[in-house]
Amino acid sequence: MTTIKDIINSPLLLALVCGGLLYITAFSVVYLLKAKKRALEMGISNKEIGDIIKSSLIFSVVPSLSIVIGLVALATALGTVWAWWRLSVIGSLSFETQIASSLAPTLGFKTTAEMMNGATGEQFGVVMILMSVGMLAGFFVLLPFGKKLMTSVDKTKAGNGWSNVLSGCFMLVLLAVYVPVLLICDTYQALVMITGLIVALLLGVLAKKPGMAWLNNFIMAGSMIAGMVSALLWTSIF
Amino acid sequence: MSNNKTSTPVALDPFQAWAHRWGRVGTLIALVYMISLPFIVLNYFHCVPSLGAVFNVATFGILSIYVPVGISEALSYTPLMGASSYLGFITGNIMNLKLPCAVNALKITGKEANTAEGDVVTSIAVAASSIMTVAILTVAALLISFISPIFEKPAVQTMSSYLLPALFGSMTLGLFASSSAGSKVVVGGIKGVIPVLILVSLVCIAARVAGLGGIILGMVGFLILAMLPVGIITSRILWKKGIIKVVDKAELNK
Repeated sequence: MTTIKDIINSPLLLALVCGGLLYITAFSVVYLLKAKKRALEMGISNKEIGDIIKSSLIFSVVPSLSIVIGLVALATALGTVWAWWRLSVIGSLSFETQIASSLAPTLGFKTTAEMMNGATGEQFGVVMILMSVGMLAGFFVLLPFGKKLMTSVDKTKAGNGWSNVLSGCFMLVLLAVYVPVLLICDTYQALVMITGLIVALLLGVLAKKPGMAWLNNFIMAGSMIAGMVSALLWTSIF
Repeated sequence: MSNNKTSTPVALDPFQAWAHRWGRVGTLIALVYMISLPFIVLNYFHCVPSLGAVFNVATFGILSIYVPVGISEALSYTPLMGASSYLGFITGNIMNLKLPCAVNALKITGKEANTAEGDVVTSIAVAASSIMTVAILTVAALLISFISPIFEKPAVQTMSSYLLPALFGSMTLGLFASSSAGSKVVVGGIKGVIPVLILVSLVCIAARVAGLGGIILGMVGFLILAMLPVGIITSRILWKKGIIKVVDKAELNK
């Protein structure tokens, strides 16, 4: 009988995951080149484009390392190849890890270790299919209505009073939900967020000094790292 | 100024038109591949589970996490990320990676979201970030037996678990900056989300008092989904009443 280990260690799974990741990378490169070409036509300089790419790459390192932590955790429950795939496409670190923690009981095992030793291929198949189809819900909105959603908030429309308000509204609702959740529900989260905010403010002031404009590219990455490091301080003090 | 209710159809920029056509096609191909992948592997091993084994009471818990989050992300992030949405959704990790990257790019270039230039800038950022993440995860997957001990250290895990509040602290300024850039300014826009702030704060206080503060973060997807209509309807009413106004920046500076 096929076991979970046969599937997660299979060369076929590895080959398909590599093929998928190559496609995603190629898709990203095409997107990047197309956007870059249009940016140059719009008069955005090569230096500005270089700054965006450099800043995005640097900014992506720390959150990506957090995703690596998720990979380490998920690999114990799902095997390295499937965890690698899940966290590279569609997946969200927080929800994939939630799913991983609920897998064993869902399949009738007490622990992840017990599941890895005892699950059949069919049981793991249930997990693979659920994880693959679960996150598709968003695409049922994005693919048919994405263009409509985007153009409804396009600020270049003539006579566009409401679209300007609506455009800002999405961001403000996001803030109005996240900020109280982070500030009220957990003291450490509140302290970490405030630290990140203060460091971002300080770096912003510093970046306005003569010769310090380069700092603008690193304000978000720097303040985010400072916030995360401050978690060690806050959790040890309180 | 402000409450002009007439609107003309949007003439899409060539890049936006390309993204809506080929971004959608590319996304569809990726989706078909993602859904097919498990079936190809399971069919090879002759262990495709029955429909009843996949969708039942026990697995409903897993789907109940995924589905509302997916819908909530699409509704709330698509208008923010514009043409980069197709790529962003395929590569995932939007809230903790792609959206902050997009906001960062808008901030350092001084461009405005939901404009052709903003879409181009955010697409460059999201594409670069996606390539970087795939590269880092690939290296990590190859070296997992070597790096596991480092990433299992308590200090690293503690820092990692506070990524989201640190991100919000770092990008809050950027979010406000990007909403005020451009030739027009929304005056009093925040008034439209005051009911959202009050409602969510009340929910959070009640959860904290009941000792359930920890579970609220896992429900943010539901909260956003529930609060989006509240924020949009309130903003619409206040805009119609002239309490929220859209003015030219030059006019504001007079």
